This record gives sequence, structure tokens and C-alpha cells, in this order.
Amino acid sequence: MAAEPAILSVQGVARSFGGIQAVDNCTFDVQSGLITGLIGPNGAGKTTVFNLITGFLSADQGSIRLKGKEILGLAPHRVERLGVVRTFQHLRLWNKMSVIENVLLGCATTAGENVFSLFLRAGAVRAEEQRALDRAMEVLRFFGLVDRAHELAEDLAYPEQKLLSMARIFATDAPVMLLDEPTSGLDSESIDRIVPMVRRLVDHGKTVLLIEHNIELISELSDQVVFLHQGQVLAAGAPAEIMRDPALTEIYFGV
Amino acid sequence: MTAYLAHFLVMVAIYSILALSLNLLIGYSGIFSLAHAAIYGIGAYASALAALNLGMGFWGGMVVAASVGALASALVAIPSLRVAGDYYVVASFGLQVVVLAVFMNWTDLTKGHAGLPGIPRPQLFGFVIDQPFEYVFLAAGFAVATWAICWRLTNSAFGRVLQAIRDDEIAAQAMGKNVVLVKIVIACISSALGATAGSLYAHYITYINPSSFSLHESIFIATLVILGGSERLSGPIVGAFLLLAIPELLKFMAIPDTIAAPMRQIIYGGLLVVFMLVRPEGILGRARHGR
Amino acid sequence: MDLFLQLAATGLVVGSLYVLCAIGWGLIYGTTLHFHVAHGAVFTLAAYYAYAAQKLLGLPLAIAVLVAICAAAISGMLIDLLIYQPLERRGAIRTTLFIASLGLLTLIENVLAIIFTPDPLRMDVGSLGDSVQLGPVFLTRLHLVSVATALLGLLALMAFLKYSRWGQAIRAVSSSPEMARTVGIDLRRVHLLTYAVGSAITAPAGILIAMDVGVEPYRGTTFVLLASVAVIMGGIGSIPGAALGALFLALLENLGVWKIPSEWQSTIAFGVFLIFIVVRPRGFFGRKIQSAEI
Repeated sequence: MAAEPAILSVQGVARSFGGIQAVDNCTFDVQSGLITGLIGPNGAGKTTVFNLITGFLSADQGSIRLKGKEILGLAPHRVERLGVVRTFQHLRLWNKMSVIENVLLGCATTAGENVFSLFLRAGAVRAEEQRALDRAMEVLRFFGLVDRAHELAEDLAYPEQKLLSMARIFATDAPVMLLDEPTSGLDSESIDRIVPMVRRLVDHGKTVLLIEHNIELISELSDQVVFLHQGQVLAAGAPAEIMRDPALTEIYFGV
Repeated sequence: MTAYLAHFLVMVAIYSILALSLNLLIGYSGIFSLAHAAIYGIGAYASALAALNLGMGFWGGMVVAASVGALASALVAIPSLRVAGDYYVVASFGLQVVVLAVFMNWTDLTKGHAGLPGIPRPQLFGFVIDQPFEYVFLAAGFAVATWAICWRLTNSAFGRVLQAIRDDEIAAQAMGKNVVLVKIVIACISSALGATAGSLYAHYITYINPSSFSLHESIFIATLVILGGSERLSGPIVGAFLLLAIPELLKFMAIPDTIAAPMRQIIYGGLLVVFMLVRPEGILGRARHGR
Repeated sequence: MDLFLQLAATGLVVGSLYVLCAIGWGLIYGTTLHFHVAHGAVFTLAAYYAYAAQKLLGLPLAIAVLVAICAAAISGMLIDLLIYQPLERRGAIRTTLFIASLGLLTLIENVLAIIFTPDPLRMDVGSLGDSVQLGPVFLTRLHLVSVATALLGLLALMAFLKYSRWGQAIRAVSSSPEMARTVGIDLRRVHLLTYAVGSAITAPAGILIAMDVGVEPYRGTTFVLLASVAVIMGGIGSIPGAALGALFLALLENLGVWKIPSEWQSTIAFGVFLIFIVVRPRGFFGRKIQSAEI
């Protein structure tokens, strides 16, 4: 295990819906500057773990710490401001807004979002909006979406929408990015476009936790893997180790 | 005839303010309020009482009106917007009922059904505005100011967040937007602006009673917004022009009062249904994809 | 003490009308998620149907009531068929649906006001109007019929939902529309059925008012919004919860008169509602409204 403390640490988290234990005594660490893959068969509780980390669900017990600070029980927007952002399986783009507006919503515009400064500090608001626009263009360039900046999000092709969903959270400057199936529903050509992008996120100082079904991709992409089954962590470690374990592959492929 | 036209224009300006401010909720935030007439009434009563009991002038009364309007709205918005959209509809209806009951039943303060007569005309730089056409300029000035405020709010980072919340609340939260706070803020601003319309009305008509601020009036203001088109700032103003013209036209037809009143409501209700079915984006709205 | 009992009894009678309105509205809201304010118009229509059947067609009371209930059920279904379903097919947002419903409510109420005048119209009830003394409490036979109707209506609705095949389909859609669709339930037909049942269960409330104090065109608005308060207090999706919420509101309004001047009666319910959503947004029992599913 790495010597430095984990940036995100999930400890003994449990959550049930009705009688179903969706997540049970779930414990794992995410190391700073690495890509961690969260894998497991359907219904293993992967998205539930995302919802718990980002504050969209409350836990029955346990603790989730970001850089040592408890974030479990905080509202989603507070979790985001502390530095954890996420994408959604169903993207949840603002379809009727333009591509650049989607990204601008991730950029820092505190003065422009404050009603008082909006009317009393017009100059500061204008300067900030200009900075945000520059930043948004820079992010769009990074994701190769500059040409599409003024189109509606819903008019993009699906692979580009996937990129946009990553671009808008990249714009927030939050260090921890949770990606919910970044390659699902894509053909191999588009996957080849997304994968290096995920790598480049880390080069830009991000920490990535991703849910992924494609085993090959996981091995290629992740620095470490957390294997979830029936809401519990069965194993965690280097991808090669996990893939070698016949018991795990059996669960995964449901043999 | 000029006086008649002036009166019509003053009322268009006042209703434009009401519709513009309500559209901040209905059109830009996707929150439906049934209490806008109550807010309008709060503005009218607050500034009338400030003038009659405290001797406050037009401007002071308007500040009081806007503050009380925002406060009343916050009282309802804070608990109900914390939960979900539908709660606010019910809570705003509750506000409408309670406020109207206060107007009618707190007779020591509001004089009940009898209403408050003798509200002074506004003074500007020592100049009393008592001619209808003078009032047209005053009311139109306020309508333009309201339009400018709404424009600034909706064409800014704040407006972007509003739209994001309206279109996908979950995504907005995930992007760090304090959805509940933004909704409460916009509800308060909408009410503060709506209350200034009440203030203008009270000082214009110089007499107010509860009947001008009923639930029917709330529905009427919503109709202005929806008919004109809630996607654009100018929509509500067009709505106000058209819908205020209808009762004037009915006056020219020889319809007895007992029929004319429900007839107006039938027209408003029918317009709501037809527009929702045929043209939900309103007269001025652009048709959007997938609608 | 006698006054207290009398007020409690009145509360129970009014409450039984609220209950019928709330369980009908609550069933529709819980199943379709339509904020169906036009339910208030169905409630009022039922009363005018009964009045017209008795006074204009000269039908006997019992037949007139039956005709009115059927006509109300059909009215509810027509609203879904002609207004809500086209809107949903087009993918309209919920606010659009609500606005259409509100417009329809205004439209119907005022058409009724023109046809029947805004004045209350009372049906002939014969010996049902006779008064009954229960200890210190005075009621009419009709009041007892109201309470019995509400009780029977509630039990019948719960039994229907629990034991009949149609009722089970409604419950399936209510708990999860997606799940219901995947097991092959036709959502549109279930919605229609829900509108029929919800309207039929509320119709007696309107008719009982027409028999007691007379029908007026504008009463439905208040009733439907009180029903929505009751449903939220009881917990969305819970029929007994809605009934309990409605009864609670009626008792509160009527017992409140003991201490509070009667002109404030209408404000009590909404004051309590505001306190309630702060303290217990989920209602007595039931699920919270989710603004969106993740």
C-alpha cells in the first residue's frame, strides 16, 4: 500500500433499501493521483457507493473521509465544494443549454451567482464571467469539443455527450472525479478516444474513481481495483492480481 | 378618452410588473406559485398602511412593501422548497388563503371588506402625481426597471444556475449549486418585485379592499405569463396587454355583470388549457425541440 | 363540554367529506403523479349532476345519486383521456400538466356558475334532513349517512386495491411505474382506471354537500387543496394516511373554533401544514415526494 494517506477513505459504510442490503460494511481507499476502478457484477452496489460518497444518499452507518474530513451526511453541493465531483450513468447534461453553458456551470462564478454582487459589483462580475469563459474554452479544447461550443448539448453525438459530461466536472477544479461508466454504450473507436482522456485527467493532478464493466479496459486503465459483490468489498489490489483470482472471475462472469 | 387610455396603460404596466416577477418563478425556475395575488395585496396593504398610519411617503412605503412581501414569501418558501416542487404549490395556496383572511378579518388593521380609502397620491420631488397620464410614466418607469432587474438576473451566471436547476436539479446539485438556497432567493426576489406592483396600485387607485387580491387574481397573473410565453422576458408584457384588453372589449358588448365575470374566467381558464395543449411555449415563445 | 362534543361531531361530519375527497385525490396523485387540481371540478360536477338528475330529470334520489357517481367517474376519465394523456404523449413537463389542470378547474367552475348561477342549490332529501339527538349532540340523519359513506368508501377502496386484480395493477403502478411497465402493465389504462375510481370515490362528497347545504360552483378549489394538504400530511401513496390527514384537518378546523374566532377557520389547516412540512416532511406514514430519481 502507498505510504501517503488515502485522499478518499470509505470505512464500514452500509445502506439498505427496504429489506435489501445494497451496501454492507464497505471499506476501501482511493489513493491520490491514481485511477481506481470499482468493479463487480450488476447489482453489486457500485452506483449506490457513488451516491453515498457524493451525498445523494444517506448511509445507515460508516464513515467517508475526504483528506481526513468527514463528508458523509453533507448535502451534495457541499461535497462538491469540498472537492468530489461525479458523472452520471445517464449523463444528466443540461440538454437545452449550449455545450459551453454546460461547462460554464462548472467554472467558478461566485460573484455572478450572488444576487447582491450581481447588482452592486458589476465590474467584478464582468471580469469573472470573462475568466470563466476563457476557462470553459480551455476545458473544451482539452476535451476536443471547441467546435461544438455553441451547439445545444442534446445535439451532440453520444460519445461527445460523454466527453461533455466529463468536461463540465473537470472545469470545477475539484481534485476527485467519480466517473460512472465512462465508456458504456460506446463503439471501440469512441472508447479509444475516451481512454487516453481519462489518463490525461491524472496527468492534470486529478484522482479518478471509476465504475467500469469492460474488464480489459479496467486492467489497462486502473492503477488499483476494488471488487464489489453484494455490497461488500471482496478484494482490492492491483488489476493483474484481481484478474488472476479464479473465484472473483467466476463471480464476475457468473459462471 | 385619453383618461381611459391612460388608465388602461397604467394597469398594463402594473400587471406587467406582476407577470414579469411571477415569470421568474414559473418560467425561469419551474416553480409554480398560487400566491402572487396575495403578494401583490401585501404590497398594496403594506404601503397603504405605512402611508395612512405612519405617514410614510411613496418611496418609503414601497421599501416596506417589498420587504414585507419578500419576508412573507420566505416564510413559506424556506420550509416548502426544502422538500420538493409540489409542496410549494400547496404552501403557496396556503399563503394565499391566510393572507386573504388577514385582509378580511384583521379588521382593526385592514378594516376588512370595507377596505382602506384615502391613500395619498405619490409625490416626486415635491410634485404630486395625480393625473392619469402622469401616472402612466411612473408606472411604466417601474415596469422598465423591473424588466431591467429581471434581465440582469436571467442573463448572468445566476440565471444560468436557475435554468440548470429548472432543467435538472440533481445535476445542479452534483455541480455544487445550492439548489434550495437559489430557489428561496428567487422566490423572495419575485415577491419583493410583485409587492412593488401592489404599492403602485394602492397609490394609484387610492382605495384598496381584499377583493382585488383573490385566488382568481393569482390565476389571472399566471395566465398573463403563460399566454405571453414564459421563455422570454417580453412574453409576460404581451400577455398583460392582451388579457387586460379582453375585459375592456367585453364592456363594449352588452353582457350583464353576472355573466361577464364568470365569462372572463372561462376565457382565462380556456386559454390556459388550450395553450398547454397546443402551444405551451406561449405566443412569443420559440417552439423547442422535443416539445 | 357539550360545545366541545358538538364541535367534534361536526368535525367528524365535515371530516368524512374531506376523507372522500382526499382518498380520491390521493389515489390519483399517488398513482399518476398528476397534481390534478381539476379534481375539484369533478367534485363539483358530481354535485350538479345529482342536482340536475333529481330536479331537472325528476329521477328518485337514490337513482340520481348513482347516475351522478357514474357521470363523475366518466368526467374524471375524460379529463385524463382528453387533456393529460395528450400532454404526456408529447413529453410535457409536470408544470404544464398542472397549469392545464388549473385552467380546466377555472373553466368548469365558471361554466357551472353561468348555467346554474353562483347561488347554492339544494337537493330534496326528504326524511334524511330530520335531526337526530345523540346525547348532547345534534346532527341530521344525512350527517350520519355522510360518516357511514366515508367509512364504507374508505374500506371499499382499500379492499379494492388489495384484493382485486385491477386494484393490484394500480398499486403496482403506484409503487414503481417502470417496474409495472416491464411486467406488461399498460400504464395508460391503469391511469384511466385510477381516474374512474378516484373520481367515483370523491363524487359522494360533492353530492352529500348538495343534499346538506346546497351545491355552489366554487367550493371545489378549497376542497381539492385541502385534500392535497391531507395527502401530504398522511404520506404520499398511503390511502389510510390520506384519510387520517383529512380527518385530522377537519377536527382541527372545527375544534379550533372553540378557542379561535370562526373567521380564521380556513387558515388553520394551512398554518398546520406549514409547521408539518418542517417537522415531518414524509407525512404520518408514506414516502416523501422525490423531485427526481437518480
